[in-house]
Amino acid sequence: MVVDRQAEEERLIAFMIGYQKGNMDDFGGLYAALKQPLLRYLWTFVRNATVAEDLLQETFLQIHRARQTYTPPRPVRPWIYAITRHVALMHLRSGRRRKEVLPSEELPEVPVPPEMEKLADSATLHRMLSDLPRPAQEVLMLHHLLGLSFEEVGHILGVAAGTAKVRSHRALKALRAQLAEQGGVS
Amino acid sequence: MSTEFVPEELRRAVEHDLRPVRPLPPAWQRTLVVAAVMAVGFAVSLAAFKLTLRPDMDQLPMWLSWGCSVLQLLVGVMLVSMALRESIPGSGVPAGAVKVAVVTAVLMQIVVGIATWMYSPGMPWGEGAIAKSVGCVTQDSTMALPTLFVTLWLVFRALPVRAPVAGLLGGAGAAVTADAITHLLCPMSDLRHVLVWHTGAMLGFMLIGWVAGVLWERRQIRRF
Repeated sequence: MVVDRQAEEERLIAFMIGYQKGNMDDFGGLYAALKQPLLRYLWTFVRNATVAEDLLQETFLQIHRARQTYTPPRPVRPWIYAITRHVALMHLRSGRRRKEVLPSEELPEVPVPPEMEKLADSATLHRMLSDLPRPAQEVLMLHHLLGLSFEEVGHILGVAAGTAKVRSHRALKALRAQLAEQGGVS
Repeated sequence: MSTEFVPEELRRAVEHDLRPVRPLPPAWQRTLVVAAVMAVGFAVSLAAFKLTLRPDMDQLPMWLSWGCSVLQLLVGVMLVSMALRESIPGSGVPAGAVKVAVVTAVLMQIVVGIATWMYSPGMPWGEGAIAKSVGCVTQDSTMALPTLFVTLWLVFRALPVRAPVAGLLGGAGAAVTADAITHLLCPMSDLRHVLVWHTGAMLGFMLIGWVAGVLWERRQIRRF
């Protein structure tokens, strides 16, 4: 698992280096590798698949405009998630939110890691996650579902790693309480 | 790797401007650029205003005169470096560290001002004090503005995801470094002068940085 993540990170770094050199195929590789997790992350902000899709395009345009701000060999994902978060927050502040409600089956799929699967099945977990307040949802999403370290989560959210850890602990507690309330897991 | 999964509109936009780019230098290297501009700004101000060391310099202990100035310079450069770090997505400074740094910068200026007044009251507050104070703020501005402009330029040409915070840090850095030099030059230690005019100027530069960040962010929001 650790080796996989490291290999994945190295692959992303290679894509970024190629992309900064002007290689369109590397941009394609980056897009293919990050599309699903970014959609899922954007969804926590907008709760709407269509808007999330739009924001995904805007995120990649922003990534393109700011591609010189990535310095190899730093990890790519904190850089990209920070840009994604920026785009989502700018969208929310712009006040142009759409009203459509997203049916749950349209949620972009993200594999659930084993430690989260212990709590409930993937669908229940995603539904429960949607009911949490956004900061709690965000930290759980980034650490537990998307697999970023607390240090990386801290860099994305602009808080210390310890603060991210505390937020995650509280969010997980709230999630467990919700599940217990519904007769799921104690 | 193929680009078939990339939506057509996005693919065209990216292909339209796919020139190779060089990654930005790390924050410490960009801080050196700001430090160089800062040094030039100080030299120009010293020459333009024909400034000399404060007359009561020998009454102040070394730690309070040169020692505190060097410390303020270091804190100012650190604030500039934090602002430049803040301008890179995913490498932002934790919110707690930002608060500590900014509060330390302001408190340090106030404490140094009070300590200096306790050792030497300097030029008395009297006739012409307001004109002298306005002159001090003008000198402060001449020293701080080049640092502030270059820092903000470097910050906004990257992608600060918390632009007001980056601007605030840049403003604080420029203000503290200018105050470090002013501390060695200003002949007035009276607290009405130091705490109103010098501290006021410092808060003003921080406000300029913050407002610049807010305006930059608003421009970003208008894209949506």
